[in-house]
Amino acid sequence: MTEEDKTANPVRGEVLIVAEQILGELQHITLELLGAGTYLAGKLGSKLSCIVLGHSLGDIPQKLVACGADTVYVADHPELNTYRTLPYRRVVCNLLDSMDTPAHICLLGSTTTGRDLAPRIAAHFETGLTADCTELDIGSYEHKSKLDPTKVGLYEGCLYAIRPAFGESLKARILGPWKNPQMATTRPGQMTPLKPDPNRPGRIISIPVNIMTEDNRLIIAETLREIGKGVKLQEADVIVSGGYGLGSKDAFQLMYNLAACFANSAVGATRKVVDQSWIPYEHQIGQTGKTVRPKVYIACGISGAIQHRVGMANSGLIIAINKDVDAAIFKFAHHGIVGDVFQVVPEMIRQLEAVKQEKEVQTVVSAH
Amino acid sequence: MPAPYEIFVLVKQVPDQGSKAGLNPDGTIDRARAKRMLNPFDRYALQAALNVKKTYGGRVTAISMGPPPAVEVLLETLEHGVDRGVLLSDKRLAASDTLATAYALYKTIIWAGHYDVIFCGLQTTDGDTAQVGPQLAERLGLPQITYCQDFRIAADQVYADRIIEGGYQKIISQMPLLITVANSYHRLEYKSFHGSWKVQQLLRNTEEQNKYIQSVDLDVIGADEQRCGLKGSPTIVAATEKVGEIGGNCSMHEGHSAEELVGEVVQSTNLQEFLAI
Repeated sequence: MTEEDKTANPVRGEVLIVAEQILGELQHITLELLGAGTYLAGKLGSKLSCIVLGHSLGDIPQKLVACGADTVYVADHPELNTYRTLPYRRVVCNLLDSMDTPAHICLLGSTTTGRDLAPRIAAHFETGLTADCTELDIGSYEHKSKLDPTKVGLYEGCLYAIRPAFGESLKARILGPWKNPQMATTRPGQMTPLKPDPNRPGRIISIPVNIMTEDNRLIIAETLREIGKGVKLQEADVIVSGGYGLGSKDAFQLMYNLAACFANSAVGATRKVVDQSWIPYEHQIGQTGKTVRPKVYIACGISGAIQHRVGMANSGLIIAINKDVDAAIFKFAHHGIVGDVFQVVPEMIRQLEAVKQEKEVQTVVSAH
Repeated sequence: MPAPYEIFVLVKQVPDQGSKAGLNPDGTIDRARAKRMLNPFDRYALQAALNVKKTYGGRVTAISMGPPPAVEVLLETLEHGVDRGVLLSDKRLAASDTLATAYALYKTIIWAGHYDVIFCGLQTTDGDTAQVGPQLAERLGLPQITYCQDFRIAADQVYADRIIEGGYQKIISQMPLLITVANSYHRLEYKSFHGSWKVQQLLRNTEEQNKYIQSVDLDVIGADEQRCGLKGSPTIVAATEKVGEIGGNCSMHEGHSAEELVGEVVQSTNLQEFLAI
């Protein structure tokens, strides 16, 4: 590539978001990606587009326009009803291949769907992909290292994919300006959606679906969801987590009772209690579980081993309850209560309920 | 009598982040000094591979890419009952990102021969990307089941449960395929007596060890070095920034009744803002 090529091309490809729906329900991560994508496309001076795959999608395309997409590509086909790696990969790759100007950026959520699909697309196009980003930005980059001479140069409009590394102790800025689309997945709960505007203009385009026989080597027999029971650890404002100090499976009811005091909450756990089958794996926080960053993290009977810490250390407010004053968790919590979980937690529930009642009374009074 | 399967499992040696050894002041890891361990996620993939062998018959091959000490994790898999190991080790692989890693492993797998199923851990603890498994499946043109929490095989079809947000999916797939195994799968069982005894013998006899663990480099597997290591990696880490030092200023509440302790915390924090009203 000559110096001229790098600077003389003002026409940038679009920023493409791959939307996610489960059983016809648009997933929150897609709205977050549209929010982030609007910012990136604005900085690049390019368009924001979104591809949604499924069957009988109702008003989802309109919602995507209202939330920021300039163009929505709709792939509607009975075989796309439920997410499957190979057919979805086929349709998204075909769309990217068909663009006159190749997409500049392609983003997915770091969900079970996005983490399944994004690497396939990236490997197909031999392009870079950064997992689990917490921030995205656009900027320039000068590659000076001559270890690989083909990479040397000044690059504008690079995707800055920023993600935690080494157990959340570092933030790494990862770039791949040499090949488009530059790809990333983002961690749920990190990007801010736009306020939906039903009057926003946008194009909705139906795209062809060519699924091949080999794409049907794998089929989904059934999708089972516990509606309303899903553990949305990464979207919760408040997480109440239990550790081995709880002593038994039954004690987790207390965690649920405390979580119920809060508007947007979830119950988490350490690996040790998941290993004991006191609570399912989807609740696990830490190195081999989920990484969370809620506004409030209440750790009950958790010693605070590094493997757990890396999954929650960046929470806004950490309140730790443990009867061992020397527990490691008190070294990085913001507030530590030294006491028996079975006395402290019920008392916390009682006091929070009292505050709630007081606030409710105030609301009723002010409404009159 | 079901056909015996050729079962591959991918394993990686990672720094032990629970140990302070090799932890640089800036938060990065000095891999030469760090304590090394089998990637914890791979323990579930290993158990899955051994279960297939135990239930349906076959042979398990463990494959790893890494510097020479990575042979330690292959020996560990042998102790658990794996039949052979393949170690891809080559200086030209240094600084590989996930795409370059998946390419090198793809060439290693083709070299290693026929397979019916490939198991991978969900992700590694040193990279946390969960990308190499699916990128490898793409290169091999295979169907994949990620986040697999259980499975059985019948008539050369895999029946699996895959975790999704707030539930799971029941999947039926043809073989061959690639599976990444979730941590809710069965825990790795203890090392077998026979396996441990065998590895003790191998440690004393390099020639014998080479029969069980084959060491290969890029030339042996026929990989294009332009697609490996730094040159084959489309991404680079442009900058790192240390995240603010954690903790050290915990307000401790102790020595009073639960009522007083909780009262102090409820009054001095913003906990009340998040109440369900």
